[in-house]
Amino acid sequence: MRKSVLIVEDEPFILEALSFLLKRERLKVSTFTDGKGCVEYIQSTKPDLVILDMMLPNRSGMQILEDLRAMDAFTSLPVLMLTAKGQKKDRAAAEQAGVSLFMTKPFANKEIIQNVHRLLGK
Amino acid sequence: MPRSLLGTRIRENRRSKKISQAALAKQAGISASYLNLIEHNRRGIGGKTLLALARVLEVDPRSFIEGADQALVGRVKQAAAMVPAIACEVDKTEEFIARFHGFARLIGRQFDRAKVQDETLQAVTDQMNSDPFFSEAMHLMLSNITTIKSTAEILSDDQDITVALKNRFLSNLLTETEKLAQTAADILQHFEPSTQEDGISSDSAPAEAILEKNDFFIQQLEGNFISPADYTARLNLPKADEDEAIDTLVRYSAIIRKLPIDDFLSAAKTYKYDPVVLSQKLNVSLSVVLRRLAHLPKHDEIPRFGIMECDGSGAVIFRKQLPTLALPRYGSACPLWPIYRSLSQPLQPIKAFINTPTGERFLTYSLTQYVDQNTIGLPSRTTAIMVFTPDYEMFLTKPEIALQPNLAVGLQCSVCPRVNCEARRAKYLLQ
Repeated sequence: MRKSVLIVEDEPFILEALSFLLKRERLKVSTFTDGKGCVEYIQSTKPDLVILDMMLPNRSGMQILEDLRAMDAFTSLPVLMLTAKGQKKDRAAAEQAGVSLFMTKPFANKEIIQNVHRLLGK
Repeated sequence: MPRSLLGTRIRENRRSKKISQAALAKQAGISASYLNLIEHNRRGIGGKTLLALARVLEVDPRSFIEGADQALVGRVKQAAAMVPAIACEVDKTEEFIARFHGFARLIGRQFDRAKVQDETLQAVTDQMNSDPFFSEAMHLMLSNITTIKSTAEILSDDQDITVALKNRFLSNLLTETEKLAQTAADILQHFEPSTQEDGISSDSAPAEAILEKNDFFIQQLEGNFISPADYTARLNLPKADEDEAIDTLVRYSAIIRKLPIDDFLSAAKTYKYDPVVLSQKLNVSLSVVLRRLAHLPKHDEIPRFGIMECDGSGAVIFRKQLPTLALPRYGSACPLWPIYRSLSQPLQPIKAFINTPTGERFLTYSLTQYVDQNTIGLPSRTTAIMVFTPDYEMFLTKPEIALQPNLAVGLQCSVCPRVNCEARRAKYLLQ
């Protein structure tokens, strides 16, 4: 069965590029562009992996991650946080909140695909 | 004058004329051993002997007595103080200047340059650290670059991509490249203070820039010859800037009405520019007096006062800088500045002398007042004001100045060389 990945990203062209890359890897891709309602969307779709932008409208990626980790169903859900905020303190905060992997923008396509496969256990 | 410089100067003068110590001593009618002690600064020198030595060396005796360029002495000492790790022989500064005048001038010049660079760096780091525009622009740029990089890699690596998809990605690339170019241009414009045709710098808030252009003293408003609205209308500012400028000039006009300049200057001179006394004598609030001090005419006999106003969060809301004390435009300055102490002591005026790392000293008065004390159910908002002057010697006597303790402060951590400062919150970038 194809693994599913949810990309939460508000930049449309990054979303488009990432979607293309992951679909090419034969993954099932869904997208979400807003911080608000994101947790509920994850609850209803139950993806195998979430790629989460840190800076989102209405609710930050960090808050979403904290919400997820507070739920029993998502304590071990792989979350790859993708952000333009690559300072040490941001990375530390994300790790503290329970991120599975922290990647900074701009990323190399090959690198993100490798990491997605690794987090999906492929 | 320090004894050390006197002996050293005699020695240097003698050497430059290639006269032996013994010969000079003989001609001046003193013993060679006594001259040796004088030249090595181990003995004082009487007027008669000094005149005799000057006569033999064919120099004006005042050239021995007059101190070295005191400004240069100060600058060399300040340069030494900037790098305390190198324990310079500060007590021998005057001797050093006398012996190696060229090198001393070089140090002075380098010190001046370093100061200018410090101030520039301060302004830039200030913006980079605290400027919401810059932070947002950087985020936008990184997003643009991410799209461009990722999309370009797809186009480069994937040979089997459909024509439609290829065109779609090429269109995305073009759009993001244009956005990136625009963001870069916006950042450049933001960091490069431009000057409008009327000479008003756009680095400052519009109203502040108008005041800066007029040295914070607008004669037409002082004389009530024109209203703030009419004055602003002549400047052809954009609507939003015009509204802000009118608000600021209306506040300035209110100060003028309460404290007309001639009466205020007369009282200020009488009461030694002490804002607390002036407030009592002139029966106006202390905040009005403090603000009035920032709006004085430029004159050799009138001390210069700068001002900084911030809200309860420390964000600067109004400022008048002086050439020797740069104030932050965004974010906050050194946490040791009295204005921040004042925030925790509303309504309590604070008088303090502050010393900057480059050796400038300022007399400051700070006050925090409530903006809306009577709002039920909401925390009271406060505004803090600090006025400062480097010209305190114009109205305070030396004993009065000596009585005041000095508070060692910085400008901002990134450009502050003070080691072991408990208030430090960021690294010194010039280390």
